[in-house]
Amino acid sequence: MMDELELLKKDWQNKEDHLPKLSYDQIYKMIWKKSSSIVKWIFYISLIEFIFWAGINILFSDPESMQELKAMHIYNVMMVLNFVNYGVILYFIYKFYKNYRKISFTDSSKKLMRTILDVKKTVTQYVWFNLMIFAITMIISIYGVLIYGPQGKEIIASAMQEGNEATFWFLVITVSMIFTAVLLVLIWLFYKLLYGILLKRLKENYNDLKKLEV
Amino acid sequence: MNKELEHRFVTELENNQNIVHKVCTLYTNDRDSHNDLFQEITIQLWKAYPKFRGDAKFSTWMYRVALNTAITLYRKSKKRVQTQDYDSVIFKIKADEYDDTEEKQLKLMYNAVKQLGDIDKALVFLYLEDKDYAEISETLGITEVNARVKMNRVKNKLRTILNP
Repeated sequence: MMDELELLKKDWQNKEDHLPKLSYDQIYKMIWKKSSSIVKWIFYISLIEFIFWAGINILFSDPESMQELKAMHIYNVMMVLNFVNYGVILYFIYKFYKNYRKISFTDSSKKLMRTILDVKKTVTQYVWFNLMIFAITMIISIYGVLIYGPQGKEIIASAMQEGNEATFWFLVITVSMIFTAVLLVLIWLFYKLLYGILLKRLKENYNDLKKLEV
Repeated sequence: MNKELEHRFVTELENNQNIVHKVCTLYTNDRDSHNDLFQEITIQLWKAYPKFRGDAKFSTWMYRVALNTAITLYRKSKKRVQTQDYDSVIFKIKADEYDDTEEKQLKLMYNAVKQLGDIDKALVFLYLEDKDYAEISETLGITEVNARVKMNRVKNKLRTILNP
């Protein structure tokens, strides 16, 4: 056994010359890679998310639901909103991609730290924009259903009969607001989970870099 | 200041990169995993570098961080190391340097080492690197006696693998 191990040791040490050899630059790039892979994931997730929502949107864009929207007189508003929504989201995806490119080619920790802060800012803006769009969509839909929807008309008619118009509107608005708020919180939690983990890791990386700044 | 630190770190790593490559060779079986592990070790070294105050030799410190990283990753993905293929070891022995039986013997030995557990592998690695028990114990954070006992056990294990 001893002989074999000695043989192995001799062979092992002879192998030194056959080891791969990395250059200074190759090693230098490696120490920044961690952040770049996180930012890459942020970009990918935003893309997947975009495709997912666009898919759902197309799926529900059958003529029947289009008719319903038209009947509620909110078709045009919704279309404009959709248009704006996709435009802005595409812009965000472009920004995520730009961040990813920037971080891949960063060669100083100062710039890297700045890019990390940029990424954080972009993600926050992105989440807020999504929440806003969702809130507006909700409000328009509730409005459409109440004023023009068949159920809405019934509800309003019965409320009128009771004769308590002010209380009725107060109730409707309160309920809609609570409903919207709950949904918004749920969506916010979803984003917090989706991007929160990645951002947390970025933050750790940022703190590591900060420690190195003497 | 920061630039200087970076420069010093990358230069030292460049000069000592063989250590990391050898750890990667022992703990991975193909080039991609080798590169992944190399990068992971580099990141871990860089993260720990500000804490490295030169109370140990740079190379000793590197052995420690590199082995710890390899062991941690190995634990996370046990299956990666299950199938061994001697030929996929990145740097190959030149066949003409050895006679047939010796080469065969070496092949069996490498295969046996690859089958060892993560900690045992680290021990064999340091042994192959011609480290004495003092340095082995310092690198792995165990006592010298413990290192000797463990090394003997590893030799027994290798014997069992070679002669089942």
